[in-house]
Amino acid sequence: MSRPMNASPMRGYLVLESGELYAGSFRGGESRAGEVVFNTSHSGYEEIATDPSYYNQIMVMTAPMQGNYGIDRSFWESRRIWIDGFISVEMQESVRDSSWRCQLGEAGVPMLSDLDTREIVLRLRDLGTPWGAIVKAATESEAKEKAAALIKAKKTGEPDWVWAVSRRQVEVRNGAVANGPRIAVMDFGAKENILRELCSRASEVAVFPSRATADEVRAWNPDGIMLSNGPGDPEAVVGATETVRALLGWKPIFGICMGHQILSRALGAKTFKLKFGHRGGNHPVKDQLLGKIYVTSQNHGYAVDDKTLPSDVRVTHTNLNDGTVEGVECSSKLCFSVQYHPESHPGPHEAVQLFDYFIERLRK
Amino acid sequence: MPRLTDVRKVLILGSGPIVIGQACEFDYSGTQACKALMKEGLDVILVNSNPATIMTDPELATRVYIEPLTVPFVEKILEKERPDAVIPTLGGQTALNLALQLDEQGILKRLGVRLLGADPKVIRAAEDRETFRDILDQVGAKYPKSEMVRTYQQAMDVAVRIGFPLILRPNYTLGGGGGGVAYTLEEYERMIARGLKESPTSEVLVEESILGWKEFELEVIRDKTGTFVIVCSIENLDPCGVHTGDSITVAPQQTLTDRQYQEMRDEAKKIIEAVGLATGGANIQFATHPTTGERVVIEMNPRVSRSSALASKATGFPIAKIAALLAVGYELEEIRNDITKSTPSCYEPALDYVVTKIPRFAFEKFPGSQDLLTTQMKSVGEVMGIGRTFKESLHKALSSLENKVEGFAPVVFSERLLAHPNSQRIFHLAQAFREGMTLEQIHEITQITPWFLEQIQTLISFETDLEEATSLDADLLLKAKRLGFSDAAIARHCKMTAAEVRKLRHQLGMRPGFSQVDTCAGEFKSETPYYYSSYWTRPQPALKSTKSKVAVLGSGPNRIGQGIEFDYSCVRGVKRFQAEGRAVAMINSNPETVSTDYDTSDELYFEPLTEEHVLEILDRLQPEGFVSQLGGQTPINLAAKLVGAGHKLLGSSLESIDLAEDRGRFTAVCQELQFKIPASGMAASFTEANEIAGRIGYPVICRPSYVLGGRRMEVVENEDELASYFERHGSFISTSEPCLMDQFLEGALEVDVDLVRGVDWMVIGGIVEHIEAAGVHSGDSMGVLPPQRLKKAICEKIEDLAKRLAVRLDTIGHLNLQLAVKNDQVYMLEANPRSSRSVPFVSKATRIPLIDLGVQAVLGRKSIEVQPSRYQWDATDDVSVKGVVFPFKKFPESDSILGPEMKSTGESMGRGIDYAEALLKASIASHINIPPTGEVFLSLRDLDKDSLLPLARSLVGMGYRLSATSGTARFLFNEGIDCVPVKKVHEGRPNCVDRIRSGQVALVINTTSGRRAVEASFDIRRSCIDFSIPCITESHAAEALLTALKKHRSREFSVLAQEKMI
Repeated sequence: MSRPMNASPMRGYLVLESGELYAGSFRGGESRAGEVVFNTSHSGYEEIATDPSYYNQIMVMTAPMQGNYGIDRSFWESRRIWIDGFISVEMQESVRDSSWRCQLGEAGVPMLSDLDTREIVLRLRDLGTPWGAIVKAATESEAKEKAAALIKAKKTGEPDWVWAVSRRQVEVRNGAVANGPRIAVMDFGAKENILRELCSRASEVAVFPSRATADEVRAWNPDGIMLSNGPGDPEAVVGATETVRALLGWKPIFGICMGHQILSRALGAKTFKLKFGHRGGNHPVKDQLLGKIYVTSQNHGYAVDDKTLPSDVRVTHTNLNDGTVEGVECSSKLCFSVQYHPESHPGPHEAVQLFDYFIERLRK
Repeated sequence: MPRLTDVRKVLILGSGPIVIGQACEFDYSGTQACKALMKEGLDVILVNSNPATIMTDPELATRVYIEPLTVPFVEKILEKERPDAVIPTLGGQTALNLALQLDEQGILKRLGVRLLGADPKVIRAAEDRETFRDILDQVGAKYPKSEMVRTYQQAMDVAVRIGFPLILRPNYTLGGGGGGVAYTLEEYERMIARGLKESPTSEVLVEESILGWKEFELEVIRDKTGTFVIVCSIENLDPCGVHTGDSITVAPQQTLTDRQYQEMRDEAKKIIEAVGLATGGANIQFATHPTTGERVVIEMNPRVSRSSALASKATGFPIAKIAALLAVGYELEEIRNDITKSTPSCYEPALDYVVTKIPRFAFEKFPGSQDLLTTQMKSVGEVMGIGRTFKESLHKALSSLENKVEGFAPVVFSERLLAHPNSQRIFHLAQAFREGMTLEQIHEITQITPWFLEQIQTLISFETDLEEATSLDADLLLKAKRLGFSDAAIARHCKMTAAEVRKLRHQLGMRPGFSQVDTCAGEFKSETPYYYSSYWTRPQPALKSTKSKVAVLGSGPNRIGQGIEFDYSCVRGVKRFQAEGRAVAMINSNPETVSTDYDTSDELYFEPLTEEHVLEILDRLQPEGFVSQLGGQTPINLAAKLVGAGHKLLGSSLESIDLAEDRGRFTAVCQELQFKIPASGMAASFTEANEIAGRIGYPVICRPSYVLGGRRMEVVENEDELASYFERHGSFISTSEPCLMDQFLEGALEVDVDLVRGVDWMVIGGIVEHIEAAGVHSGDSMGVLPPQRLKKAICEKIEDLAKRLAVRLDTIGHLNLQLAVKNDQVYMLEANPRSSRSVPFVSKATRIPLIDLGVQAVLGRKSIEVQPSRYQWDATDDVSVKGVVFPFKKFPESDSILGPEMKSTGESMGRGIDYAEALLKASIASHINIPPTGEVFLSLRDLDKDSLLPLARSLVGMGYRLSATSGTARFLFNEGIDCVPVKKVHEGRPNCVDRIRSGQVALVINTTSGRRAVEASFDIRRSCIDFSIPCITESHAAEALLTALKKHRSREFSVLAQEKMI
């Protein structure tokens, strides 16, 4: 009978900085280090891998079987794959289709499978998000040695992750609505679908690098400003908070994810690192702007501390699982933002109306 | 917002007897709802005619009515109880249709009762296919091209317009009743006629075929503020064309891209809103084209369903409970997630495992029926397997089927059985790979999504790895276990025994881990002990408990002969063990049940009921003991192996079980006690059988050893039939498993006795007198308690025999006996050392909590504690009749005549102030259309002619017209009774079948015996089934029906609430 390819894969390990070690099969790519996080989205692996917000991160997928429906370039959320590791119980690998595994391998992203991801998830949940590395190694001690070196190198890299993923040049795109507004986007690691959602409602969209100055943005004379999603710690982002602060009250601003955190910081609030973050497509949020509760697409490791918000900023969105801030509004300064992803991809679409809400504010 | 303040008393409608398409999942949903609403402090009134349910235990609601689910009875209950609202969404299609009728007839309005959860407009919008299609148009959803057909002529035009193959869906029928796929004009003509008849509105939707498309289902829930969540997505392995209840399904869906899935989600939300479903659960089925991705909507149900039970078990999200709380005004945000206890219910479960459901079929019970799956549901039960991967879960689900061979049993490959969906297709699919067919070929033939085929291919390919391995080392074994191979399956490929594989595995320290079903893929801490085993998971010690642990073994998938009754026993048993201070671990594989609700036991193990899986659980738990007398035959069959592995069996010992179950030993015991037993013998061949028959005399009952529900059991009248019996069933008969032959006590009265024996006490639960004479399986005969025909002295004699036998067998706990009475002689037929099918009925009829007593017995409680004299089964004033429901409609080629092989799927209960009332209620509850007037057609065997003469006279006296076949007509003429003679089928046309099919006959009484006569009258019974005309095939039952007819005319009946158990 014809038998599917089942070449015995190499042994590989996920090694955490805190010392834990998980053995599995190394499915391709090169040994790499990253922040180890888990994601509970059932589908959308390709969108996740190409989302710049996952820069420097090793993704543990809780859904056990990955790669089931192959790949499609139109699902990409940016120009490249950003994750630094992909872990699941199983990876689709058959004569007919092993495209997902191959794609990650070609991008050098290490993959680990044939292990109990739930054990890792419970570790991350209980003790927080550590650094770690996926390494190809023959023995545990070799794995630990390799991992330590990789982690050390990674940690001493560029602290401003947003700058690492952001565009270096301004990119201007035509919108679909000829008499629609012109929108400036601060690219902190913007997902393609934010730009798509804006373009479908705007006449023109200009995407600025994360270190663009307020004057550069003003010079383009937009009707509104979008602050995009992006990776890492908002505190480490150079320049953006100041730029946004300078733009407050000038034109309406809408922030998403990193954009929400930068906006909150510009308004005077503080951000903090969550124990293990929110990554998935099933988090309930109470939205007081749209007046409803819905399930959202989430991906963030930091959050805004509601106790540090100034009195003119109100919390408009709340995570119903843990009560954390999911969105704020400051009407006097014409801005609002959400921590989660109304542009989805992956995840449910119900929050997409927030783009309409933003556009309406531009008309006023 | 908290709950509605103007709703203080609600009435919940149940779903009635178990039928194909509507089974114990509605006991699960109704029970959940009752518990949740009672906890809210509401008065809950429950109506259900099915006594075998947990929900009809009097403790579950404020008041429980075991009454027929028809308008007159429910109207009377509404008048008596005056509830504020009715919840119609928890009792399946039965409850929804009933709610519609109550609304249409103005009863709800007159009594000021509102419907909660779904209003009539919503029910119609979802159920009426034309209205539903308008809604789909509104939201821009697509659906297969189709037209509603109301006449035969119109149907022919539509067929030309749409083209074959065509799918037929009669309006307002459950489980797709009367529907199917027509490939040819000939098939189509036949199916249209039946479909129009079967639809209560005489409407059939004729639809463009989407055969071969991928099929999906979304389980959704919405609250009144519009918060909407998908609880679970389900993907069918079988492409469109097979009813989803008959498909192998997987949750969550596996092969949709995120975009496809989210678009489907959006569409579901729009549809729910457009239909107007304000609160509650619903499911929507979709089909997507395998290559273009085009999507169409198949249907929507605005209520909890079989799939929502599956979704609840698959995810830990209790849909029915939440739907009930939403119906009384809560919002999803306000309802806490039971499992995490920290998060709200307005989220979508995330799964880090895969769930596979496999239906269980009963084609072998219906000789002549075609094992072919269509859009009309035919399965009688289902199993669910949970594993970390699809492969592990599929293997576990296969083990859960409790087939003789675990896993992918080798079969003699048939391309036909691969090409046409049938109950064995999954095995032929595996075999196709073994035979060297390529994935592309198999895909071409089956249209099954390649991803699924690959998974199965990997498993079959691994069989070769096992076969080629020089030795079974730790790596290979772990790989096999992670792929879900059972020890028995591994053994098959490694030329070892299952015990050897287990021993090796244990030596290697390779044990399964137990993971939690936690609704959130580990994101939040969860304390709820709902577990599944997996070899992907590192083993962890069991929860420490200060209480002593007891493991209760469930009954596995529903099948004919072992169904909801045993789940009732298990659940009530669990509750009693808990009351006795024990922590109970429940083990079961059936997603439809109350027993697999994580809320039922202290720990739930959703696992196959096989030696391997149960042992791993017991080894982990180290319980005080395990209980095998509550879950029917499945756990009884496991008991010896579990004891052999060092675990303690609670209740009757293995020796007692063996004494009762081994025919030879049981006969010896009866002889020793000087009980009368039917003469019997055991034959390994036809020659031996012929000798034995000569000795004991015809008629004889023949059956192979080890049968459940009377499989292959037949009454044989002469040598020709004996030869035919061996021809048909010879392959099940051997020297080691001989054919058991018993003298058949023609015309005898049969009884069931259920008793419980403790260390120094005994309680007789009751004697159920069968209404049909001996020869009809006890599960298929109607029964009455207290007995109506047995003399008191005989009842006492029966009690005496039962008690003596229990003592001799030394049973502890339940014992069920079957006896026969002929000419005032009592014969002992059979003993089952376990709770039985009749226990729930008996408990409800006598108010004796038999299951509780069984638990007390098993735990060694003494007479002084139990006070057995409180329980007098004959102290009841009213009469209870057990009615029976059959699935013949779903098996168009099969005969509906009753015999020693059980064929019924469910039972009803009628309680009345007298026999007539109880009979009437049981008949109505069993969906027998009692005709107030019209023509009664009689075709009687000679034996019954004299005895049924008074019945014929009474019918004429009551104004019924009579018609009869020539012999019967002649007999009636001679007795001075007027009747229309009608031709038999072979006598030409128009004949009796034409007469029935043309709608002239309202009731048929047809008694026959002898294989040839039975075959000759097949068409009579079949036409009755097809046209929903009551057909009585046994003379005692005919007399009982006459009693019910008379009562029906009086139009007087009471409705009685169940009293609390003693």
